[in-house]
Amino acid sequence: MPEEQQVIDKPESREIIAPGYTFGTVTDQIATVVLTKKTPLFWFGGFGVGLALLFGFLLAVAVLFARGVGIWGLRTPVMWGFAITNFVWWIGIGHAGTLISAILLLLNQAWRNSINRFAEAMTLFAVACAGMFPVLHLGRPWLAYWLFPYPNTMGVQPNFRSPLVWDVFAVSTYATVSLMFWYVGLMPDLATLRDRTNNRAARFIYGIMAMGWRGSARHWSVYETASLLLAGIATPLVLSVHTVVSFDFTIAIVPGWHSTFFPPYFVAGAIYSGFAMVLALAIPLRSVYGLQGLITDRHLDNSAKVMLATGLIVGYAYILEAFSAWYGGNVYEQSIFWNRMTGPYRYFYWSLVFCNIVAPNVLWFKRVRGTPALLFISSMVVLVGMWLERFVIIVSSLAQDFLPSSWSVFQATRWDWLTYFGTIGLFLFLFFLFIRLLPMISIFEVRTLLPQAKIEEEVQG
Amino acid sequence: MTAQALDFNLSTELKNDLKQWRTRALGVGIAGAVLCLIGLITNPFQFYRSYLWSYLLVLGLSLGPLAWLMLQYVTGGAWGVVIRRPCEAAARTIWLVALMFLPIVIGIRNLYPWSRAKDVAASAMLQHKQPYLNVQFFLIRAVVYFAGWWFLSWFFNRWSAVEDRDGGEVAHRKMAFLAGPGILFWGFTVTFMSIDWVLSLAPEWFSTIFGMLFIASQMLTSMAFLITLMVLLSFRRPMSEVLTPRHLHDLGKFLLALVMVWAYFSFSQFLIIWAGNLPEEIPWYLTRLNGGWQYVALALVFGHFALPFALLLSRDLKRNFKLLAGIAIFILCIRCVDLYWIVAPDFRKASFGLSWMDFTAPMGLIGIWLWYFLTQLEKRPLMPSQDPLLEEALAHGRE
Amino acid sequence: MIKPIYGMIAEFDNPSDLVRAARAAREKGYRKLDAYTPFPVEELSDALHLHKNRLPLIVLIGGICGGLVGYLLQYYVTVVYFPINIAGRPLHSWPAYIIITFELTILFAAISTVLGLLALCGLPTPYHPVFNVPRFALASRNRFFLCIEATDPLFDRDGTSSFLETLEPREVSEVAN
Repeated sequence: MPEEQQVIDKPESREIIAPGYTFGTVTDQIATVVLTKKTPLFWFGGFGVGLALLFGFLLAVAVLFARGVGIWGLRTPVMWGFAITNFVWWIGIGHAGTLISAILLLLNQAWRNSINRFAEAMTLFAVACAGMFPVLHLGRPWLAYWLFPYPNTMGVQPNFRSPLVWDVFAVSTYATVSLMFWYVGLMPDLATLRDRTNNRAARFIYGIMAMGWRGSARHWSVYETASLLLAGIATPLVLSVHTVVSFDFTIAIVPGWHSTFFPPYFVAGAIYSGFAMVLALAIPLRSVYGLQGLITDRHLDNSAKVMLATGLIVGYAYILEAFSAWYGGNVYEQSIFWNRMTGPYRYFYWSLVFCNIVAPNVLWFKRVRGTPALLFISSMVVLVGMWLERFVIIVSSLAQDFLPSSWSVFQATRWDWLTYFGTIGLFLFLFFLFIRLLPMISIFEVRTLLPQAKIEEEVQG
Repeated sequence: MTAQALDFNLSTELKNDLKQWRTRALGVGIAGAVLCLIGLITNPFQFYRSYLWSYLLVLGLSLGPLAWLMLQYVTGGAWGVVIRRPCEAAARTIWLVALMFLPIVIGIRNLYPWSRAKDVAASAMLQHKQPYLNVQFFLIRAVVYFAGWWFLSWFFNRWSAVEDRDGGEVAHRKMAFLAGPGILFWGFTVTFMSIDWVLSLAPEWFSTIFGMLFIASQMLTSMAFLITLMVLLSFRRPMSEVLTPRHLHDLGKFLLALVMVWAYFSFSQFLIIWAGNLPEEIPWYLTRLNGGWQYVALALVFGHFALPFALLLSRDLKRNFKLLAGIAIFILCIRCVDLYWIVAPDFRKASFGLSWMDFTAPMGLIGIWLWYFLTQLEKRPLMPSQDPLLEEALAHGRE
Repeated sequence: MIKPIYGMIAEFDNPSDLVRAARAAREKGYRKLDAYTPFPVEELSDALHLHKNRLPLIVLIGGICGGLVGYLLQYYVTVVYFPINIAGRPLHSWPAYIIITFELTILFAAISTVLGLLALCGLPTPYHPVFNVPRFALASRNRFFLCIEATDPLFDRDGTSSFLETLEPREVSEVAN
């Protein structure tokens, strides 16, 4: 046992799992985080920050309900300000979770197995945060159900030609499927927790949630099929969600929005910010919980590479955007682009160029990808950059559109900021609850990574 | 069987096969070329038009494999080891493809409205685009593209040869080092190439996704071609001992993914332009959805997406050599239809039509290209014996 | 008369031993077998002769239903129930309907996958006899179990127990019903 512990503490960097683990130690190390009675101090810190911001959010929402969306900086012509920026930003962050859990599963990338669980949780919570904004932005959020088609006394129906209605379907489907995918992945681990805990109440609750999972070979065989099918279903879904989000802009003929490149460009940007968030969560988590043997430097390196690749696609989009604004020959497109670079939002524009295309090029260097602290900083830069990108796209196009006499610059109010940081609080609150109550790494999938899991058989004649 | 026990040199039977295929390809190619020459004399306008779209197909056969090569060095995946040598051979044909570009240069005024002074004088939009769309800059860009592609192809072939001779590590690291920037260069040049050579046929129109769509199409064309080739090679040694259903399954997944990506890009472009309904954008689709062209579009929806998508979903089919090759050949044919639908309507705005040269031009180009490709393929062993991922790739197939 | 039991269960240290034991039991003629492992072991499907499951078919049907519901819903609402000219678009604007059709296809397919999974596994099952074996809690940690059920025609308490002992397990125990 002490020998085992030693290798766990000093993992080899190039492996996706450190040598020396056994089925037992893997299980114990991950399950203990949840089952221990002692809650680490930093957990209270993180949870406290989340809770405090969440109260701020509740306050902002209460004031919003009482006084209306006028408390935000929304003035004609910029009616989409922070709310839609934050919505797009949060949804984008969610995408990396589905990418890791679904696409990398289909591509047989075994390294995903130790980061998929918390990445999926991240997806769920990010979608929850994202979902707040369009609903709050409605003005009368208690009528949000009007978005759905149902036989009603008013005899009206949603306009199915509108991308905003597509959004309702896309985002609610995404939330539902992500939740189911996450839950199906959790079932075997809930059974582990049920069998490992000494607390009667916990055993009862985990037992109910595990639905009586017993690891039967028959069940596993169906389960494997189900996982692959869900991955196959979730892959086009995740691409479609940000595509539909991009349609919110492209279907409108506002200059700076109506560009056929937006769907893949938004998807790439989403994965870009999502992986930044994965790194921003994984780097501190693995060091405080001592999980370097399970979330190894190889994981960080691979995530950084994905970030670099998607960042380059985003860069490609900026260059093509500039070229097509000129080449397309439309004066409105040209002026919108010129205004972005030199108008009232120029500082935002040039900072987003720096954050999204210039800075991430440090990831070409292996040394940067191998230094967690630097990776953490670059992922923060990318998160800020992607937020700025959405802000600039939305606000600069609306602030200076076809009619110069109605141009006006958007000014965010303190309620805008409080709502935005409030959702970060909601995210942290949910995330810290998750790491305390559920295994943050998929235990059974990590077991399959161990060399002992490989079956040795005599070849049958 | 381990890698040491295998001989990756071409077996005599395979050499005989290749010789036969080569002769046939050359025969078809020369026949097509002669007929095209007759076409060039009798109807030069039609010749250049038929030549352009056929040329774009052959371009994909040479450029796509270059991208697959670089992708595989970047991702470090063992899936690519089996197609490495065909990819290298296809990349080595780039100078021939550059040579084949010459007729387009000669016929430039027949093809591109922006190159004709009369059209430019009549259109404010074309005057606005003159700094980019003019003959000199067009040629300079073409030279830059070909020079870059030739350099990449030379680089990856040269170090691959060094790897074979002196062993893996150093050469492999060199290739992996250039592959990242190489893909970046490839992506940008193919994007601007598609703007120059295809999109500017309708110079008033623009779509930002067009470059991406073209990249996806080229990857799809080349993957369909590579799958067909691998199945043909699999009947003889050495590939008969190397290639397993598992390898083919991986390539089939790429085919499926690219069919989906093509549909995704095409539909996004269509929906955005349809919903926007702007006078500078919608004419491109109006031309292509009227006068008989709508049936071609419908054929694309089914043949380029629905049918291959539904079939390729099946895991058993992706592991069946002959069936998968059948689908790959079908996709190559439908790629021709797609290219024709993109290129030709600008010349036939009134209604759908086909010329006999739309058959002879691809015959000539593909025949001659194939002949040269097969001579190149024969020059090196069919598997990279020193590839650090070779053992993994072989073991992967046996699982 | 001894109280009827559910079966005999043998505990193994690693998945290779379990697969070997499962093959041996199958060869011996036992048919009512099940294995319990802490993670999916692909080889067991072959060793226990598990059939290909019907889940893909269920998902396909679910997906097709979703697509139909999605498209017909939009068609019915915009063409039949509430026809209104919006921005000059045709009443039957099929390009715009693709999105929701797609999303509902996905939604229905995903729901059918999860419900199909539960149905084919017979979950939730809060009570199952194997949970009566105290050491079975380790099946979700690091032990591998092979169970021969009492309904098997070849099953007899002593014979099966001594057969399982020959497979060199850690322990063989009875599973109370």
